[in-house]
Amino acid sequence: MSKFQRMFRVVTYSLSVVLFTFLLSNSAAAQDGEKLFKANCSSCHKLNKKLIGPALSGVQERWEDQEALYAWIKNSQDYLKKNPGDSYAQELFLEYNKSVMTAQAVSDAEIGAILDYIANPPADKAPPAQLAVNENAAPAEDNSTYWLFGIVIILVIVARILSGVRSSLATVKLLSEGKEILKPKSFIEGLKHWTINNKRYTVLIVVLILASFSVKGWYALKSIGVYQGYAPEQPIKFSHKIHAGVNAIECAYCHHSAYKGKNAGIPSVNVCMNCHEGISEGKVDGTVEIAKIYEAAGWDAEDQSYTGVEKPIKWIRIHNLPDFAYFNHSQHVVVGKQKCETCHGEVSEYGYPMKQYSELTMGWCINCHRETTVAMEGNEYYTKIHNELLERYKDEKIDAFTVEHIGGLECGKCHY
Amino acid sequence: MSDKKYWNSLDQLEETPQFLEEAQKEFSEAVPVEDFLSKSNLTDTSSSRRDFLKFMGFSLGAATLAACETPVVKSIPYVVKPEVVTPGVPNWYASSYGRGGDFASILVKTREGRPIFIKPNKAYPGAMSGVTARVNASVIELYDDNRFQSAQKSGASLSWSDADKDIKSQLAAIKSKGGVIKVVAESTSSPSTKAALAKFDEMYSSDVDVEIFDENGDVTGIQTLKESCVVTYDPINYNGILKANKADFGQAIIPTYDFSKAKTVVSLDADFIGDWLDNVTYSKGYTQRRNPDGDWMSKHFQFETNMTLSGANADVRGAIKPSDLANVAKMLHGAIAKLAGGSGATGSIVSDDNEVSKKIEMAVKSLWSSRGKSLVVCGSNDVNIQQVVNGINNMLGNFGNTVRMDRAYNAVQLNHSMTDLTKSMNDVKVDAIIFMDANPVYSNASFAASIAKVGLKISLSDRPDETSALCDFVCPNHFYLEAWNDHQPYDGVFTMQQPVIRPLFKTRASQESLLNWSGVETSYYDYIKSNWYSTAFAAIDAVSVENKWNQAVQSGVYIAPKSKDRVEIVYTDNSINAAGNLTSKSAELEVKFYTKHSVGNGAQANNPHLQEMPDPISKVSWDNYVTMNPSDMEGKYEARTAQATPADMVSVTVNGYTMELPVVAVPGQKLGTIGIALGYGRTVTGKVGQTGVNAYPALEITDGNASYSSSNVTIADAGKTYQIASVQTHHTMMGRKIVNETSLATFKSIDKNDKSNGWNKDNVLPDAFGDVKPIKELNLWEDHAIDLGHRWGMSIDLNSCTGCGACITACHIENNVPVVGKDEIRRTRSMFWLRVDRYFTSDMNKEKGKEEGVGIVSTYKQMENASAYPQVVFQPIMCQHCNHAPCETVCPVAATTHSEEGLNQMTYNRCVGTRYCANNCPYKVRRFNWFNYNKDTKFTGINPAQNELQRMVLNPDVVVRSRGVIEKCSFCVQKIQSGKLVAKKEGRPVQDGDVVSACSEACSTNAIQFGDLNDGKSKVKGNFDDDRSYHLIEEVGTQPNVAYMTKVRNT
Repeated sequence: MSKFQRMFRVVTYSLSVVLFTFLLSNSAAAQDGEKLFKANCSSCHKLNKKLIGPALSGVQERWEDQEALYAWIKNSQDYLKKNPGDSYAQELFLEYNKSVMTAQAVSDAEIGAILDYIANPPADKAPPAQLAVNENAAPAEDNSTYWLFGIVIILVIVARILSGVRSSLATVKLLSEGKEILKPKSFIEGLKHWTINNKRYTVLIVVLILASFSVKGWYALKSIGVYQGYAPEQPIKFSHKIHAGVNAIECAYCHHSAYKGKNAGIPSVNVCMNCHEGISEGKVDGTVEIAKIYEAAGWDAEDQSYTGVEKPIKWIRIHNLPDFAYFNHSQHVVVGKQKCETCHGEVSEYGYPMKQYSELTMGWCINCHRETTVAMEGNEYYTKIHNELLERYKDEKIDAFTVEHIGGLECGKCHY
Repeated sequence: MSDKKYWNSLDQLEETPQFLEEAQKEFSEAVPVEDFLSKSNLTDTSSSRRDFLKFMGFSLGAATLAACETPVVKSIPYVVKPEVVTPGVPNWYASSYGRGGDFASILVKTREGRPIFIKPNKAYPGAMSGVTARVNASVIELYDDNRFQSAQKSGASLSWSDADKDIKSQLAAIKSKGGVIKVVAESTSSPSTKAALAKFDEMYSSDVDVEIFDENGDVTGIQTLKESCVVTYDPINYNGILKANKADFGQAIIPTYDFSKAKTVVSLDADFIGDWLDNVTYSKGYTQRRNPDGDWMSKHFQFETNMTLSGANADVRGAIKPSDLANVAKMLHGAIAKLAGGSGATGSIVSDDNEVSKKIEMAVKSLWSSRGKSLVVCGSNDVNIQQVVNGINNMLGNFGNTVRMDRAYNAVQLNHSMTDLTKSMNDVKVDAIIFMDANPVYSNASFAASIAKVGLKISLSDRPDETSALCDFVCPNHFYLEAWNDHQPYDGVFTMQQPVIRPLFKTRASQESLLNWSGVETSYYDYIKSNWYSTAFAAIDAVSVENKWNQAVQSGVYIAPKSKDRVEIVYTDNSINAAGNLTSKSAELEVKFYTKHSVGNGAQANNPHLQEMPDPISKVSWDNYVTMNPSDMEGKYEARTAQATPADMVSVTVNGYTMELPVVAVPGQKLGTIGIALGYGRTVTGKVGQTGVNAYPALEITDGNASYSSSNVTIADAGKTYQIASVQTHHTMMGRKIVNETSLATFKSIDKNDKSNGWNKDNVLPDAFGDVKPIKELNLWEDHAIDLGHRWGMSIDLNSCTGCGACITACHIENNVPVVGKDEIRRTRSMFWLRVDRYFTSDMNKEKGKEEGVGIVSTYKQMENASAYPQVVFQPIMCQHCNHAPCETVCPVAATTHSEEGLNQMTYNRCVGTRYCANNCPYKVRRFNWFNYNKDTKFTGINPAQNELQRMVLNPDVVVRSRGVIEKCSFCVQKIQSGKLVAKKEGRPVQDGDVVSACSEACSTNAIQFGDLNDGKSKVKGNFDDDRSYHLIEEVGTQPNVAYMTKVRNT
């Protein structure tokens, strides 16, 4: 190693140490700033976009007097009162419809950190597309059929070779015995010959084939009209995983009518806007999908106001019960105290699109009614019938009663 | 059981061969296979067997493929959900119904913002709240797609601002030249509507010069008076009473008739239960006193021409000719005056084939013994008769007690003379005419001829009618469920009409139109509010007034505090004079016009539910016809002998106007008279309403007002026949005794279990060991457990049931029962889940036979003889929900099963349509869907479910049945389930009244009670245990969950 090289290494090392320290310290300050920004400012401000208040990027350049900026941030109303002559501040107040920025309890140092963060925001950590790919990654394809197919082909080839060997050996044997060589039989003739000689096997095989077709056919027919796993494309790529899973929003926040009436209900757009007025950008699809909500609600994200031009969202209904079956959510959720997941699966883990988890067949309903005990305790409606049931089933010594016991299998409970 | 022989049609009574054959069949006519497969005749096609197989194969494949594809159903939520709306949960709003002289305070059920059901509002003074079939069926008229969708000028739509500009300038031009503008308006009880009309009047009333005369009759000068614009006009008016009261009391008002206080009710041709003034309130009060277990039971005398609902319910009914009505009134007056020690009018019945004179004597005796607690009402439109009736009520001391002049019924007003109006129209003196809820072109023949002579014609009708078709402008009103309004049905009782849905079309309240044209630019809502603040709420301080207003809107009712200074109403007796003025023009044949309490005056003719609802007496739907006593028909016209036999047509000429109508035999019709219903034969309306013949032009106009009977009538065989749509000859009860009836005397004196005379003896049968036991204790089957949880039951008090049929329409609307139309009714394929059977009784019975010494054989024979004037009973029949249901045991696919709660459940998706159940049902209450009524083009325009808009009225909780399945009364299982769910969610037991079937809700007289039989405190349990309770056709061992209560007549 030359002297020059060693020197270069030392310089680079030291330089990099210095640089690293600098970066580290810098990023620590920015980190603080980011935290403070998110805690104090982000509900009304964004860096590059208007929200309730103006976009903050370049705020320091817009204020000539930095002290004034600090004072404004700490208490804007106070500042306005004390400085009626500051035309920029006065105009700003008017521009945002006189919405008052609440007084902030932050120190000068904290303001500095926030302003530093605003001036030097960190680059995006991960491109959103990557996450989307992860979420929508298709499960590994099932290769077992191909394997099976391959094995069958190999076996057929082996069988063919073996039968060839067998016939060659037979020919050799015949030749060695000096007998006449038989004309090779065609496959069909052979099969015929075999079936005549092995009637029992033939019958058995035919019966097996018929039986397997019948069973297959039966299941195929039974699946008509059963849409388990139905997951249609929706107008908006709504992910239950993000809402119910990551953000742990209660089901009832959006599907509140499940607790009141027969329909669980698709939430109206105003429910979406409760949160999305502030959240205009997601991590997965950015602003694309949320913009669709804005379009439906008639929300102008630029002006932060409703335009009045509404466009209802045409969702594709997933769970379709036939007209002749009556189902009431509140009966099951409020009275029966069933969890949503019982019928809808672990919704909090479903991404887009949402799917039908259960079969929704009558057999499936009935089965649950047979197995589920009725929550009679503490509900005075059931007091009388509970005592009557205890009396009726005292010989069987049953004390927990299923839906079946209170007539939950009767036709007229669901069909009218 | 009573020994009277019941029969529900003449054919049944006479046991004609056709009848006997039809009685054996539950479904008298099957739909031919071609009808099922396609509209065009299949036999004309040349499809071969091979083609058939190809089609089969293809359709099987196509069906399989189609079945594999998931149907895409869109779900569109609100953008901004109203806070009060929860999908799947109904909201109820209080509102009011006030049209065509009818009034009801109502609660409207809305689902996701759509009104779908109407029931009585209990906040309205309890004794009066109720709905008629017209009220609860009116909800479907909201969705009538015949309605005007915007303002129109000569048939082309235009904007409201353009219409206003145009109309205002024309009105201003007329006003400036001193022209005459008239507003023809229906009677209204709405104070704000009256105020709006007054506002219009203020602006546009014209000046008339009236000559002033001196004592000698010479003209001394000319006075200029204001002539009002408003012409009140109703097709059915009550000017007789109003003018009589004007003469006798100085006020043209309808008093409050309190039937609940009347021990004796005498009605002179007033069908106060069916269709006369405030009939709901009257029948409520009346039935309150028809309970044989009460302190006292009223005695009801009815003297009338046609067989009406009131006549059917009466204890004593005297059939009289219309011309004899005056004589009856005079005889009553004279007899009572004699008892009172004075002198009165004298008269005698000209045609007395029904012992009317004797019955009048009985009535007089009864009236006199209950002085001050009796009531005489009269349906005549003759002022003199009404004054005689006033005289009678005065002598009996009924004023202030059963007849209260201080509390007027305001839904009908004094009508102005249409003759005067048409005269000035013919003289080209009317420059502009505006129609507000009035359709005189249809109901007044002379008006139709002169309307062309008016320059500017404006209709405010919400849907096309005969008048709007001739108007230049149509400025459509809202439907009443879309509009704000107020009503004052009775003095001191105010009700609010709250809109329950946004206007479906570009319509505007007619009051708002009038106000706008009078220069008052305000919404009608603000106008009502300010009107209330200055009148009804004038005494309330500014702080609590807003509260009061909100309360009135929320409950729908505001009762004004009683004012202290009472105006003394003084009666002047003019009855002797009036009796002297009475002349009666008797004729061999007389006609009495009436309105059916289904379609009424014809304004609601396009309502399919009302058209399909059969007349309670004749059991004919979809048409009007001539009612005639079967004895009168003998030898001239053939009484229909079977469903397939058409009725004879006659041509009737009344006052020079000829109508061709079918003849229908109605026992009880006065001999020598016929009856014809008004309200039919609409020409400008939807497909449903264009049925029957318009009889209004036959009305005689005297003194500017129509008279509803006539002696100027001739009848001739038209030589034609007509298929009427009647539900009369099918659904027979196989000649068994089914209505239990007794008299009050028997009821009070004889034990029900008395072996020889008991009026409600148990049905008994010897068992295998010869022990005689009540039938309910004998069983072929294992008992259903009936003790667990609920057991739903219904009781029907035949004493309270007036036969009005409000339950039928309520049931149909609640349960999406299809309307099938005239043609299908003709083929006996009606779909009624609930029907009201009407049975005529014969006057002969065993006791009478013994008394008269007729002998047992001829007594029985005479019991089968049709009497010219029979008594009538009504019996609502729906699925009896038998504990041992014969239908359940024969269903091959277990589509009809029994529930633990006592319901006989019908599972449509399981039904394959064998119809075994219907054949095995002893009550004949099961109905088969021959068609897809909601899709088949045969029913387009008839069945509401076919129309995009009318479909909105369907109840989303009840499935619309498809072709090929049986359906029947479910005891409103959807209401049972939701009632239970509410209780479960609140964690409390179900209380009596939580679960009420639609028919029971609609029954204003509380004849139908519904509840839990396992709840010892429920009303229905009490009724089941009552002495009068019995089960229908109990002897076959069905053990029904419906109990009937013996009818007790006060005879």
